Amino acid sequence: MIELKRVSFAYPRSCEDAIKNASLVFGPGVTAVIGPNGSGKTTLLKLAALLYRPRAGEVLIDGVSFWSMPDAAKVAFRRKVVYVHEKPIMLRGSVADNVAYGLRVRNLSSEDVAARVDEALEALGIKSLAREKAQALSIGQQQRVALARALAVRPKSLLLDEPTANLDKSGREEFMELIVGLAERGTCIAVATHDRLLALKLMDRAVIVENGTATLIENPEEASLV
Amino acid sequence: MWQEVSEVVARSLLVSGTATVLAASWSIPTAMFLAEKESAFRRVLLDVSNTLVGVPTVLIGLILYLLLSRSGPLGFFGLLYTPASIVAGEAILITPLIVSLSASVLREKRAEVWEMALSMGATERQASATMVAESLPRLLTAVLLGFNRAIGELGVALMLGGNIKGFTRVMTTAIALEVSRGEFELALTLGGVLLVVVFGITAIVRKVGKAG
Repeated sequence: MIELKRVSFAYPRSCEDAIKNASLVFGPGVTAVIGPNGSGKTTLLKLAALLYRPRAGEVLIDGVSFWSMPDAAKVAFRRKVVYVHEKPIMLRGSVADNVAYGLRVRNLSSEDVAARVDEALEALGIKSLAREKAQALSIGQQQRVALARALAVRPKSLLLDEPTANLDKSGREEFMELIVGLAERGTCIAVATHDRLLALKLMDRAVIVENGTATLIENPEEASLV
Repeated sequence: MWQEVSEVVARSLLVSGTATVLAASWSIPTAMFLAEKESAFRRVLLDVSNTLVGVPTVLIGLILYLLLSRSGPLGFFGLLYTPASIVAGEAILITPLIVSLSASVLREKRAEVWEMALSMGATERQASATMVAESLPRLLTAVLLGFNRAIGELGVALMLGGNIKGFTRVMTTAIALEVSRGEFELALTLGGVLLVVVFGITAIVRKVGKAG
């Protein structure tokens, strides 16, 4: 579980906070992060993903304040959370190499890596692409590879930035099934999206972001009216 | 004539190649430092490096000449008019070029690859290694462009090497000499070889750049 406590964040050389005094919890189930372009959705997710250090406030992972812990302890906590970029970032090499990345940095055995890569590729329906060059794929296929890479490490929290932006209709439906399945298995999922339909179908709660101010709405029915 | 041409070409490749390897050995770590974080100090260093990319070769030659000449502060090394002084001069000359290009590549990669790597559970060291691995083709391009600048420059080689036959004569200094003596055949032959080398390197750069 990720909790933001009175978190403010400003980009370097900017005098205005991109996120202002945000207090919210990304708990079990699906949290939809909704807001117009430039409202701060991505910044909020990156703060929750421990990629950005807040100017003020705390980010708690399972109740522990991440930015006050010693550097050596941070990696273990960071490994509980995976953030998937809106624009998929593919490394040089094959699809399988990309999916294996998070497992290799965890020093898993090659048998475990192969088994988990297989499983993740299967889950995303891209097993046939395993040997293709990842950077040569279409953006929709790359998005699936990025999701497979995230799933392979079995994170406790999964933060997805516009995950369906490049998927077709059937891809979106498969994605929704996948997310529902993960949420049922206890993964905390946050999805920043413009896709209202997707948000309505998936969310257990919503975070509305406007001009850097984030408001948590626990009741999905209430959130659907916003 | 061909024996002289091949000797001069071999020396040019050796001198400029050594200068490029030396320059890369300190320029890429410097670029990594500059790309690591945003700070005023790093920005100033990068601005200085960008400004020095276009520094005239004769200015580098003049400064190093004053340092290495017998009465200069580094005169006791006895390096003036040796291939080593050309290597040093060319290495210094191409350092800002390699630093600027590499820093720009690494900054761009840092913005995306670094974040992705950390998010996937990499340690900072693993993320840095991933960032460099992903940038390799374009870093190599920066180094090869440095080599092109080194092998084609005249000021440093002439002022620090002295164009001594069989010792410090390289392609550019030989061309300048042969033209001044009216020996256009040898000058044109050397010019042709220099062009082939530069075109060859440019073709490699293009191929490597595409791979990145």
